[in-house]
Amino acid sequence: MQREVLIVGVNHHRATVDVREQVAFTNGAFEDALRELVTLPPIDEGAILETCNRVEVVAATGDGDAAVEALSHFLVARNNGGQRELDQHLSVYRGRDGVRHLFRVAASLDSMVVGEPQILGQLKDFYGRAASVGSAGTILHRCFHRSFSVAKRVRTETGIATRAVSVSSAAVELACKIFDRLEDKTAMLIGAGTMSELAARHLLAQGVRSVIVANRTFDRAVELARDLQGTPIPFDDLSRYLHMADVVIGSTSADSYVLSSAQMVDVLRQRKYRPLFLIDLGVPRNFDPHINDIDNVYLYDIDDLAGVADTNRDERQREAAKAETIIEAEVDGFCRWLSNLDAVPTIVALRDRLESIRRGELEKTLASLQELPPRDREALEAMTQAIVNKILHTPITLLKQQDRALETFYIAAARQLFGLEEPDDS
Amino acid sequence: MHSPLLALALASYLLATAAFVGHIFTESQSLRRSAHGLLSLALALHAAAMATRVLLLGYEAITPFQEELSFIACVMVGLYLLTALRANLTVVGALVTPLAFLFSLSAYLFEAGTPETPHRMASIWLPAHFVPAFVGYAVFAVAFCFSLTYLVQEKQLKSKRKSTMFRRFPSLETLDNLNYRFVSWGFGLFTIGLITGSLLAREVWGALWSWEPVQVWSAITWLLYAALLHARTVGWRGRKAATLTIVSFVVLVASFVGVSLVFPGKHGGSLG
Repeated sequence: MQREVLIVGVNHHRATVDVREQVAFTNGAFEDALRELVTLPPIDEGAILETCNRVEVVAATGDGDAAVEALSHFLVARNNGGQRELDQHLSVYRGRDGVRHLFRVAASLDSMVVGEPQILGQLKDFYGRAASVGSAGTILHRCFHRSFSVAKRVRTETGIATRAVSVSSAAVELACKIFDRLEDKTAMLIGAGTMSELAARHLLAQGVRSVIVANRTFDRAVELARDLQGTPIPFDDLSRYLHMADVVIGSTSADSYVLSSAQMVDVLRQRKYRPLFLIDLGVPRNFDPHINDIDNVYLYDIDDLAGVADTNRDERQREAAKAETIIEAEVDGFCRWLSNLDAVPTIVALRDRLESIRRGELEKTLASLQELPPRDREALEAMTQAIVNKILHTPITLLKQQDRALETFYIAAARQLFGLEEPDDS
Repeated sequence: MHSPLLALALASYLLATAAFVGHIFTESQSLRRSAHGLLSLALALHAAAMATRVLLLGYEAITPFQEELSFIACVMVGLYLLTALRANLTVVGALVTPLAFLFSLSAYLFEAGTPETPHRMASIWLPAHFVPAFVGYAVFAVAFCFSLTYLVQEKQLKSKRKSTMFRRFPSLETLDNLNYRFVSWGFGLFTIGLITGSLLAREVWGALWSWEPVQVWSAITWLLYAALLHARTVGWRGRKAATLTIVSFVVLVASFVGVSLVFPGKHGGSLG
């Protein structure tokens, strides 16, 4: 009977959000669902993951086919009985795929936004709940703990989580490469469009101290400034305030340049040549492209930012490939451990281990007792044999459990206690 | 006799360089930690090698050209490691480390048996001269690395063509601030070195100033750095400041190497 890790559920690959919602476990029922899960006959251990992208049941089982059946029913029961509807949305991951899926989820490779950092925390939380209810056992304990360390490896060994892939996060990324810190910086919005508001919110979230809002319609400037806790200024006073801003975001629909090169040379002088980051989100462009030729001024238009975001997306793809290699190696390690987690080979390994110890020690002793008569040698042989058999009796009885979860526990324990693990499994 | 400690230090510098480069290309955090670990190890070995030498031969052991380079390399690495505690400067580390390696390598290859001590210089002014002067050189060397990094990063940001290493670069403002701070400190130390050097010259040669090549070139270098610091007050930040830092350092190295080797002068074959 081969144990396996199995994942059945709905996720963003095959189910839309309204399907995922229907299956979701409400907060109060969550712990009950976990308890109910492990009462299902083929399920030895279980845990439930529930994020905005997925509702998935992770289970350890000795009978995969029956378990898939049972888990599908378990989920359908949530879905007000719409069996046929749900079936086509279910994703099933078995064996190696199950382990791999959990590792990929932990490493945020299966997220809608690959590399987003929240998922690991959520996963730890769901594992914690399964552990406290007692529905997670030996296999899931190890599988989840492995997944956490896989996530850590992927985070530290690849750059998957450090890529800004939207236009406004690319703007923030660039700001962080120009400025030492954003906490003492001021941003200015020229034009109160949605894009510029989004970019401003990103910058504020990263610590930018204050925002100045200039807009042709002053009321709109006041309104947006209130939202962003910034200062509105009349559009005509723009040039008086420009030197205060370290980041200027333009998004007006003006058909001529709002900022000219000559004007910016002047602003730079007023700023004592401190660096200035200009973000032109306007189409047609708001800022004269020649401004970029001025020293200490960095001008990016919407295409430049999209270019940055694109490059980042490509790089992330490459980093993801690196991450998959790490995951594959970890899946190998875990599956090797899991395949050894069986009573018969464990008992054999245990006997071999004690037998080799007995033999070794016996030979050492007999070597120093050369003149011992053969009869006494046989007696020693028989005695050591008897000791080993007595020692093995209880462990072997316990390893042949009826209760599979308990059996798994004893096997894992025996492998560890008697040093039967392969070196890289521990 | 070649010092085995110095040989080990050299090997560690080389490995640290490889780790830095590896980190910059792959973004691996474990490589970044290894790079800093190896660099700290190299520094410890290198300092131990120098300390043994000074203990065996007396502090005059530091006077020959090669030992001066060795000393500068140690101070550079120490300064980098201290600065890197506060900011992510691995790209700068990838410049400082091979530079330290080259300096130490020349110390290793040309290591003299017993230095010919310019006995006429044995004065309390000697350490008071060379310690600030050499620490100053090391500070300028690190400032040079900041400036090189600045220029590369500035080019990437201006041209909007990012290399794969872009993300590991520190921000322009960080580099510019560090550059300013280091040049200021270096300038202060260099000035002290010049003053104590003149006092030493008066004691040994009988005159504060004798149009000796090292004195002349040091004065030129001093003027360049003074100009750089002055230019900052009128807004020469960023690219211009970085370029001038690089030019000043090149002049400094040229005078250090060129004058020492081509016109040995009275400095006893060294800038010390």
